[in-house]
Parts: sequence; structure tokens; C-alpha cells
Amino acid sequence: MSAIVRLIKTNIRQYGMIMVLACLMLLFQALTQGIMFKPMNITNLILQNSYVLILAIGMLLCIVTGNIDLSVGSVSAFVGAVAAVMMVNFEMGVVPTILIALAIGAAVGAFLGLFIAFLRLPAFIVTLAGMLIFRGLTMVILKGQTKAPFAKSFQALAAGYLPGRDWNVDGLNVIAVAAGLAVSLILTFAILYSRRIRMRHHFEPVPIWIDVLKIAVVVAAVNLLTYELACYDGIPVVLVILTALILIYTFFTRRTIAGRHVYALGGNERAARLSGVKTNRVVFWVYVNMGVLAALAGLIVAGRLNAATPKAGVNFELDAISACYIGGASASGGIGTVIGTIVGGCVMAVLNNGMSIVGVSVDWQQTIKGLVLLLAVWFDVFTKSRPQPR
Amino acid sequence: MDRFGKVLLLSVTAALVLGAAGLDAQRTVGIAMPTQSAQRWIQDGHYMKKILKERGYKVDLQYAEDNIDAQVAQIENMITKGDKVLVIAPVDDASLTNVLEKAHAAGLPVIAYDRLIRDSPWVDYYVTFDNYKVGVLQGGYIVDRLGLKGGTGPFTIELFAGSPDDNNAGFNFRGAISQLGPYIKNGKLVVRSGQTAFDKVAILRWDGATAQKRMDDILTSKYTDTRLDAVLSPYDGLSIGILSSLKSVGYGSKGKLMPIVTGQDAELASVKSILAGEQTQTVFKDTRTLARRAADMVDAIFSGRSAEVNDVRTYDNGKKVVPSYICEPVNVDAANYVDVLIKSGYYSAAQLGK
Repeated sequence: MSAIVRLIKTNIRQYGMIMVLACLMLLFQALTQGIMFKPMNITNLILQNSYVLILAIGMLLCIVTGNIDLSVGSVSAFVGAVAAVMMVNFEMGVVPTILIALAIGAAVGAFLGLFIAFLRLPAFIVTLAGMLIFRGLTMVILKGQTKAPFAKSFQALAAGYLPGRDWNVDGLNVIAVAAGLAVSLILTFAILYSRRIRMRHHFEPVPIWIDVLKIAVVVAAVNLLTYELACYDGIPVVLVILTALILIYTFFTRRTIAGRHVYALGGNERAARLSGVKTNRVVFWVYVNMGVLAALAGLIVAGRLNAATPKAGVNFELDAISACYIGGASASGGIGTVIGTIVGGCVMAVLNNGMSIVGVSVDWQQTIKGLVLLLAVWFDVFTKSRPQPR
Repeated sequence: MDRFGKVLLLSVTAALVLGAAGLDAQRTVGIAMPTQSAQRWIQDGHYMKKILKERGYKVDLQYAEDNIDAQVAQIENMITKGDKVLVIAPVDDASLTNVLEKAHAAGLPVIAYDRLIRDSPWVDYYVTFDNYKVGVLQGGYIVDRLGLKGGTGPFTIELFAGSPDDNNAGFNFRGAISQLGPYIKNGKLVVRSGQTAFDKVAILRWDGATAQKRMDDILTSKYTDTRLDAVLSPYDGLSIGILSSLKSVGYGSKGKLMPIVTGQDAELASVKSILAGEQTQTVFKDTRTLARRAADMVDAIFSGRSAEVNDVRTYDNGKKVVPSYICEPVNVDAANYVDVLIKSGYYSAAQLGK
């Protein structure tokens, strides 16, 4: 029994938020009379929120270092605008455009990172400046107008599905179902594998039924998702991109030296520096990384709207930051996980989508999202300040 | 408070705010409006909802607060919900191509409301006011009031236009220039800032604060020693900003007459401003007419008829010429506001403080 208590205690934040997410989805399933879990709506949820989640992953690293990035919305719009000009005015190909756009994102990140990491200016102010600079440049590039349309292959980045869309059995897309089964297998294996590792190193393993339960929940969730997608148009391309990013960044933050440096620096910068972490360089690369992800998000937004507009990406930074905090990142740095952030982002996404379907207007949506953010952060502070019973 | 307490609180908050919205998609009309930050869209939405409800439809009215992504998501959600017809006033007229593709795939007809949706073949009807005519009325009003036809002048004038990403702004500006252009050419109207091209005078998102800023800059750089006689403003929201700027340098007090300032939409604050002798003119577009026309189109679609249109040539969105119904705008100033605004029941005398 003590194992269960410990398991819950160490993961309270994460499990709690997953439960909030599940409750929210059920709540909206009831309020919308069954529309929430419609295959089309689940697909919409992914398409509507992919770019915020991508930004949130980059933002998490910034927040873990104890900084922030307010410029990501503007940078997204800027990169989208540059890509639009390259494709519409100069008729460049899709692949070179994407590569150049990502490079521009990296350059923008490096530019901001330079001031933050090496000149030691506060990130808040540097990125606030970046927000103004790149919003302005977006308008300069677009001359206040919308640039459209793009090639189908570019739109596919945001609005496309994996090939084999008409490969159906009983109305179910075979690829999506197969992907679901494959991912379930991999996850099952991963959970059992980590159990074996723990046993080999003589850690006390959690009771087997907990791991079985874990596997059951994960497999059910994954297959529900892929089943829903299979009923509609299959697996969206952005979902593949997003999944890849989640895996890469989870691995990066947990298992690589550079990733651990980010956390060490966020936990205690002096201690990290004295232990030989090149803190300035870490911060610099975190912002370069953020720039690239912002560029990717910008391309996806442009592809989704099939247009680059001067007002694209407004307030994206706030959505990304909210996702991190709701997902358990700490405002003082050093704490936060990729999975937590994604769950936080999904909470916001379900709120957005559910309220929109019920017919709550954007003004009220903002108010409610604000309250949710406040609650989440308050809860974070509240649970931390309370002495933990041992 | 524990985890479950939080879940509970969250659910209760959400449930309280959301209320129990009954969703019946049978004959639901999805209306996507751009923003609640301008009075006109609130009225548009309000009237259309009222008229459609009277005719027995369910209405799913949503505002996007000028956020393009939010509007796209709202329209996607309307399709998911199973709304049967979409009436859309786009936030950005070129960003809806993909979502209209989805609407078409789901078999939903689309009516573009007041702003034409560009670059999509899936726009069935368009209902709007004659925006070129609005510009003609604004420009013509300035010409008449200054007596330019009688050979007076020269006078000074500054030009403003609407948002460059709004199709209507271009029509409006060209209409105004059709009246003012000849006098600018022959020197009877002088634009001291030298800014006469659409892309120089356009105000992004029809934002009053931006217009005020631009007026400030022009007044301080070009009009410290000369009087400004007229301002072409395309929309009341801009006129308010422009008037604040003019007042800040002393126009409208101590014998320094306000220039002629035009407007559009007869917003309540601006009509009051006209009565107070600040703004000179506005163009009234009875949103009830527009809403009724849109409702007629919805009616026609549901009964399988083709809707009544009066223009099948002018409004080309880049993919097709959209069949349109064009409503007529009307000039309003201090002389005729009683007839046009109060007697038509658009505003009550009490609302105008009379």
C-alpha cells in the first residue's frame, strides 16, 4: 500500500492534471450532447491546437531555465510571412522554403538568446522587444495585407493526413488503427522494460497490478484516439510531427546531459555554473531551440489558414506559457516536464474547443481560461508551501 | 483543498458559466461574426438572431474577437455540430479557404455577410451594402459642404481608409476618391501630408487609436500654421480617434472650427458627436436591412430555392463571381438625423439624449 501512496504522491501533479483533463472531456461530452468525442471533433482538436503545443514544448525549456519568451507569437507570424513571400512572390519550392524558414527561426532565437545569455539582459524585456520587433517586421513584409494561397503540399503540413486515406476496412482507416496498435505495443513494452530495470537494480517495484492498470489506461487512451481518427480522415500530419517532438524532447530532458543541464541551471544557476555547466551557452541554445519551434509553429499556422496574415499568432505566447504552468512547470525554474506541459496544453485545448462548441463567445472563453490558469498556479504554490507528510 | 476539490471546482465553474446549452442541429444556422468590440457587429448579430428565431430557426451565434484562429476554429466546430447553413462575416477575408473547403465537403452552403470571403469557390451568396456608394457619399458630402462645385478653394484635406485586409475598404476608398480625386488633381483640395495612396492611408483593423496617432503626426508636422478643412474618414470608429486628435490641438474651441469629418455606420457615440457639432457626417447602413436580407437567403436555401440577388457581376472573390444582394446606404448629418435614425426606429430620441 505504501508503494501506491508514494506513487501518487510523487506524481500527484501529473496524474491530477490528467484526471482534470479526463473530467473536462467528460463534462463537455455531456454539455455538448456527444459532440466532444465525435471523430471529426477529435481531429479538429488536434488541428486547432498542434501549434500551441509545439510552442509550449519550447516554452517549457525557457521556463525551466527560469526565463520566459514573450516573442514566440510574433516570431511565428514573422516566419509565416517570410515563407509566404518566398512561396507566393518568389515561387520557391516547399521544401527549401521550410528549411530556410526554420533557419530564420534559429537566427531569430540566436539574436534574442545573445542578449539574454551573454549580455545578461532580463529575458522578459528582451523577448518583449522581440515581440514588438517581429510583429512590426511582419506588417512590413506583408504591407498589412494577407498573402495567399499556398501549394497543397505546404498546406498538408498543417491540414493534411497521412497517405492511404481511402484504404479503409468497415469505414475505418487501416493506417490509423495499425498505428494505434503499434504505439500500444511499444508503450506496453516500455512500461514493462522500465519495471525490469528497476527490479534488476533492486528498487522496490510497484505492485504488478499498478503497472497493469497503467498499461490498460495508456492502451485504451491511445486506441481510442486512433480509432476516432480512423473513423474520420486518418492520422493528421501535424499529429505525427507533434508525437515525434514529444518523444524527442522527453528523451532530451530526461536522458541527455544537455537536457539535465537545463534543469540544473534552472534549479540553481550558481551551483550549476560552479559544477561546470556552461550556463550561458545552455540559455543561448534554449532560445535558439525556441526560435526553431516558433518557426515550425508559424509554418503550421500559415498552412492551416492557407494564408499569412499580419495578425497571425497574436497571444500564442500566452497560450504556450499557460500550458506550461497548468502542466506543472514552476515559475521559479527548474521544474516541469514535457508530458505535463502537453497535458496542460490539452486542458486549455479542450476548454477552448468545448466552450466554442457550447457557444461561449471568445470574451468569456478568455475569462474562464484566465481563471483556470490562476487556479492551477495557486494550486501549485499551495501544494508546495504545505509541509509534506512523510 | 485536494485534487478532487479542484476538479469539482473547475467543473462547477465551467458548468455555471456555460449553462445548459441545448444543441439541436436540425435547422440551426451558424453565424460567425468578427468581434464584440464594435457596436455594429453586436447589432448585426442581434438582429439576425432575432429575425431567424422569429422564422423558426435555431441560431448558433459566435464572435471571434478579431482573432483569425479563433474564427476558423469556431467555423470548424459549427460544421462538427451539424449546423446547416453558415453566415460568415470574416475577420480576415482570405484566411478561410481551407475551412470553407471543409464546409463544402460537409454540404453546408455559405453566405458571406458584409465582407466578401476571397479565394474560395464555396461562397454561395454575398450580402452587403454598396461600399463603393458609401465612399461616394462620403466624398460627395465633402465636395458639397466645401462648395467645390462652385469653384471655391483651395482647401486642405487629409485622407483615411479602412483596413488593407478588408475587401470593403478598397471599394470604399475608390468611391470616395471618385468624388475627391478631380479636385485633388486641379489643386482645389490640398493634401499637405502628401499621402493619398490607399496603402499609405489605410488603418489596420479599422483601429481608432491608430488613426488618432496618424492624425496627431500629420497635425504636428504639417498643420501648425495652416487650418485643416476636411478629413475623409471611412468609419465612425476612426472618426472618433481623429476627432480626439483634432480637439487636442484646439479644433472645435475658441472660434477654431472643426474640419468636416466624415464617418460610417451611425454608431451611437458618433451620432451624439454629430449632434454636439464635432463629427459632421456619417453614412447610415441599416443593419436590420442587411440582417433581413441574410435571413431571406437562409430561408431560400432551406426551401431549396435560389435566393434573390441584385448583382451578379461586381463581386469577384478571385475564384468566382459571387451572387450578391447590395443594399443602399444613406447620408446622415445634423440636418436629417431625426428622419433617418429616429423615425425609422433605429435609435430612440432618448438614446440620443434628445
